[in-house]
Amino acid sequence: MTELTTTAGPTGTSGVVAPPGPAPAATEASAGSGVAAAHMATWPFMWRLVRSSPWFFAVYAVFNVTFYGARVLPGLIEKAVFDTLTHAAPASVGIWALIALYVSVELARLATSSGMVWGEVTYQYTVGALLRHNLLASILRRPAALPLAVSSGDALSRFRGDVGETSDFPMWLPDTGAKLLAALAAIAIMARINLPITLVIFVPLSGTVVLARVLWGRFLRYARAGREAESAVTGFLGEIFGAVQAVKVAHAEETVVEHLRTLGATRQRAEVRKAAFYQLVQTIADTGTMLGIGVVLLLAGRAMAAHTFTVGDFALFVYYLWFTTEVPANLGMFMGDFKTQEVSIRRMEELIRPEPPVALVRPDPDLAHGRSPAVPYVAKGPADRLQRLEVAGLTYRHPGTGGGVTDIAVDLPAGSLTVVTGRVGAGKTTLLRALLGLLPADGGTVRWNGEAVADPAVFFRPPRSAYVPQVPRLFSESLRANILMGLPEDRVDLAEAVRLGVLERDVAALERGLDTQVGPRGVRLSGGQVQRAAAARALARDPELLVCDDLSSALDVETEQVLWDQLLARRERAGGTYLVVSHRRAVLARADQVVVLAGGRVAAAGPLAALLKTSEEMRHLWEGETRTTPAATPALGAEERTR
Amino acid sequence: MLTSLGVPLRLLARYLRPLRGRVALLGMLLLGSIALQLVNPQVVGYFLDTVQSGGPESLLLGAAVVFCALAVTQKGIAYAAFRVSQHVGWTATNALRADLTRHCLRLDLPFHKRHTPGALIERVDGDVSTLENFLSSFAVETLGNALLVLGVLAVLFHIDVRAGLGMTAYALLTFLALGALQRVAVGRWAASRQASADGYGFIEERIAGTEDIRPNGGEPYVMRQLYGLMRALMERLRTARVVSNLTFITTNFLGAVGYAVGLAIGAFLYLHGQISLGTAYLIVFYIGMVAVPLDTIREQVQDFQQAAASVGRVGALLRLTPTVSDVPGMNEGGGMTAGVLDTGPLAVELRDVSFSYDDAAGALDLPGDAADGPESNAGDAAAAGGNADARSDARTSESVLSAISLRLEPGQVLGLLGRTGSGKSTLSRLLFRLYDPTTGAITLGGADLRAIPLRELRRCVGMVTQDVQLFQASVRDNLTFFDHTVLDTRIRAVLDDLGLGEWLDGLPAGLDTPLGPGGQGLSAGEAQLLAFARVFLRDPGLVVLDEASSRLDSATERLLERAVDRLLANRTAVVIAHRLRTVQRADAIAILEDGRLVEHGPRRALAADPDSRFAHLLRTGLEETLV
Repeated sequence: MTELTTTAGPTGTSGVVAPPGPAPAATEASAGSGVAAAHMATWPFMWRLVRSSPWFFAVYAVFNVTFYGARVLPGLIEKAVFDTLTHAAPASVGIWALIALYVSVELARLATSSGMVWGEVTYQYTVGALLRHNLLASILRRPAALPLAVSSGDALSRFRGDVGETSDFPMWLPDTGAKLLAALAAIAIMARINLPITLVIFVPLSGTVVLARVLWGRFLRYARAGREAESAVTGFLGEIFGAVQAVKVAHAEETVVEHLRTLGATRQRAEVRKAAFYQLVQTIADTGTMLGIGVVLLLAGRAMAAHTFTVGDFALFVYYLWFTTEVPANLGMFMGDFKTQEVSIRRMEELIRPEPPVALVRPDPDLAHGRSPAVPYVAKGPADRLQRLEVAGLTYRHPGTGGGVTDIAVDLPAGSLTVVTGRVGAGKTTLLRALLGLLPADGGTVRWNGEAVADPAVFFRPPRSAYVPQVPRLFSESLRANILMGLPEDRVDLAEAVRLGVLERDVAALERGLDTQVGPRGVRLSGGQVQRAAAARALARDPELLVCDDLSSALDVETEQVLWDQLLARRERAGGTYLVVSHRRAVLARADQVVVLAGGRVAAAGPLAALLKTSEEMRHLWEGETRTTPAATPALGAEERTR
Repeated sequence: MLTSLGVPLRLLARYLRPLRGRVALLGMLLLGSIALQLVNPQVVGYFLDTVQSGGPESLLLGAAVVFCALAVTQKGIAYAAFRVSQHVGWTATNALRADLTRHCLRLDLPFHKRHTPGALIERVDGDVSTLENFLSSFAVETLGNALLVLGVLAVLFHIDVRAGLGMTAYALLTFLALGALQRVAVGRWAASRQASADGYGFIEERIAGTEDIRPNGGEPYVMRQLYGLMRALMERLRTARVVSNLTFITTNFLGAVGYAVGLAIGAFLYLHGQISLGTAYLIVFYIGMVAVPLDTIREQVQDFQQAAASVGRVGALLRLTPTVSDVPGMNEGGGMTAGVLDTGPLAVELRDVSFSYDDAAGALDLPGDAADGPESNAGDAAAAGGNADARSDARTSESVLSAISLRLEPGQVLGLLGRTGSGKSTLSRLLFRLYDPTTGAITLGGADLRAIPLRELRRCVGMVTQDVQLFQASVRDNLTFFDHTVLDTRIRAVLDDLGLGEWLDGLPAGLDTPLGPGGQGLSAGEAQLLAFARVFLRDPGLVVLDEASSRLDSATERLLERAVDRLLANRTAVVIAHRLRTVQRADAIAILEDGRLVEHGPRRALAADPDSRFAHLLRTGLEETLV
């Protein structure tokens, strides 16, 4: 119905800062920068939604058509009652029987509404679950280190509002259809009674459909403004609740709330304008009903005096007018809602970009059959064993800033410990992310045992590799569930993972041990505990290649030494290759090779001792610290273990 | 129905009082609309009687025109009423949102550790949104429609006492039935809202944690969890809707019965020649009219069901009180007022301070929220929620800090050492009154922390933590926390001091440049420097640096040293770092182990004593940091 080929900006316009101006303008402005994303038109989208869950939709449709279709009956009964009363028609069944019939018909009709509601919720939330499933799956598939185009609060409003909006829309089809059918049947009955009056009422009324359609065009704009304003509010709420300690520390409660008020006022204007416009269209339609009755009054007088139009006919006309005149407004609303679908679909598309829109409505076999999705266990095969990992020419540029890494070459033999170091902004984290496919590399090859890795994002995962990000997060569930994250417990040496992560003492100190619910984002644990839990999570996967980004930043001296002694002991025992970012001498001293990054390029690489002789940058980094000599102190680690 | 009215009505009163002018206008508009709705059927009745009695056509035409005019006027008034009610509803709910947000921000940290931002958004925005209609039109609509029903009854009594009596009985029956049904549905709605909060809290956390999930192969697990949550949401919502639909069925069925009764009464009276056909029709028409306001009242009641659940949840939130707050007696009666703290460096003293999380957390359970395990119904159950979870909470039960006593003179720098989980971060939070000590006391500039107004305290103490939290807002707002009174020149000077002047010049719109969501694109070092800038802007007398520079390389750190030196000059400071390098500038050293102060003294003396733990750490651990 609507052909949409608008272009909009790519999601990841992540410079150091977003471009100036309000967010929507920023998206428009970046449209020229390359990605012209296709939009999915509303009808194909909806058709797929219906097909994804046809039976629940059918249940709703059947009950809906029955419910609204049967609206024609009471009017006929009422007419019979009045005609019997005024003797305009022979008393075939008697007034009391007619009244009893009326009550029974209504009861039966109302009962069908239960089926309608059941079908509606079931369909809507089955389809909604599919959309949310596809959205989240897509977000999990995208380069994980690329920030979303929107704040997480905004993203959440798309999961809630826009999914709700689109999964509700297919309901309009049977609904509007049923109301239209009932109205057409009613109009046919009215036309048989008195064609001229019927024509006088409904010919102009059909014009209001066009009017409603035109008015709803503007509704699109208002709806979009409303949603954006809502997102601004929920996004901001999410940010301040996520940063509550910072707000408290700055004693900024009042100023933050003041900012919220400003955002709220904008939202109020947008929402009131939208709702008022909706109501205006509705009012115009309602006025049509009243004017229709006025027309009957105007025209029926003479016919009634001439006994060609009975009081029963009059009652029937008035009864039917109540719901037939609703139809133009209904069609208008349907079209308006149709318009808002564009907005919602586009907002969901934004969230999954660069994936095509069709990924939103891709059917899922498990969901389609009402099965809980399986969590397969991938056992380590011979091909998963790492012999050598070679990185050549790896390049990633941050859009906007131009920072990133260029032409990185690293060679990791099996069982080696490689430490990446460098100043802030040298590209250490970017290197790990680009290697693992958490950022889409702009160039370069990664070879696993000599074979080029086609899609690192798919390839680098357990049991081949595992990752401890720079700022790891735990989720609101038990520590055990966090570490396992779906691994079957009988296939995992959980105790060993906990031990390797130097988490044993912490677990022992927790009242419920591993079954402790760790709070939202794991904040009930200290920063170091979260980091070690994340290490345990990675180690529970027994990865061939363990990639750690600054694992030790929240660890103290002793804990860190224990950690590395244990990890290196694991290497001796069971193999394992490590690629880590670190500044620390304790780690560097244990490294088989050190890669020094500067300005996104490899400034030097090799054993530490050699680099200290040859690399100015290495010396600079090394000597930036204090004057003591490096000396490994396994004694501390031993002491730790005996406790 | 009546028992649960108290809390919502108080909420109504509180947020509608400032809007009473608008509410009065709304009431008048609704009354006008009702009056017109009552008058207009009379025109139809008059019309039918005129037709039956063969009256002149001009009278019929006149009746038709009057009918149309009244109808159009009534619709116009109804539209105006809608506009006003929208204004009232949004103004009230936005005020409530702001109040709830402020309230949440004032609640203690343990509260925030229990409730995800997503779950809080669900309360502050989701629940409040369901209150919008309740606040904007519940009172006027319910009252207005009740008046309309009474008006119809009055008219029917006027027409015929039997018709009036019949309808009164019918209306009463309808109300009783609705009241009974309402009670069934409230709990279902609370359960479905809970499922909704669970689902969105889950999604929010996972969106924020993609870098943890994907590279560790967690997607299938996450997708299965999502499936379970979405299924629970569907089932609970379906139950709620189907149960609520019984109200719809009942109302409409009773409407049909009423209509049938009207038909019967009209027919009976007409057949016995007691009323005209026009009047008979009028009875049926009026009774048909009762169905609409009853239906509206029913809708309002249903809305009220949802509102009651939301009000319960909002009320439970509002009932929570921060344990850390200004103590009125100590502030006023004790003679402690704002301005008690000097602007210069402040002495800090801890006297026998112990702390355990259990006590602090007990009062902060929010029943029926996503973060809580055992679920309880919102509403009345909320009040009882209190300490229910505290005991079963999985938090470590032992003291985080025990019997810490130390003193820091004005201008001194204390280096705080200890392994992860030894209590360093907790101690620093105590200095800030993010928690209060379980026993013992902390004084700042000679005054008990609890006696210092929070505003004053947090003005005088600055803190830099490891996690820098940035907003999707301009650089300026990020630095000033939306405080528009801070001058640009001052911000500029601070950024220059930090060596960020060049960075600022490189921004497309200077201080107005918006930062992306979550400060995206900023490096950890830059973010850290911005966090420092925040503290510099406030010029506090005591600063707490909690591992402030652990992720900075030496080059960036040297950039900071200069500024940090300036910050520590003429200020008291507590510097927490795992890296010994950071403590080099300390005057005194304190070492924590398992929440106990195991060593405390001047840095030089401890370093010189070969048996001290500090000296031991210097020997074994100093090489552990390169940067």
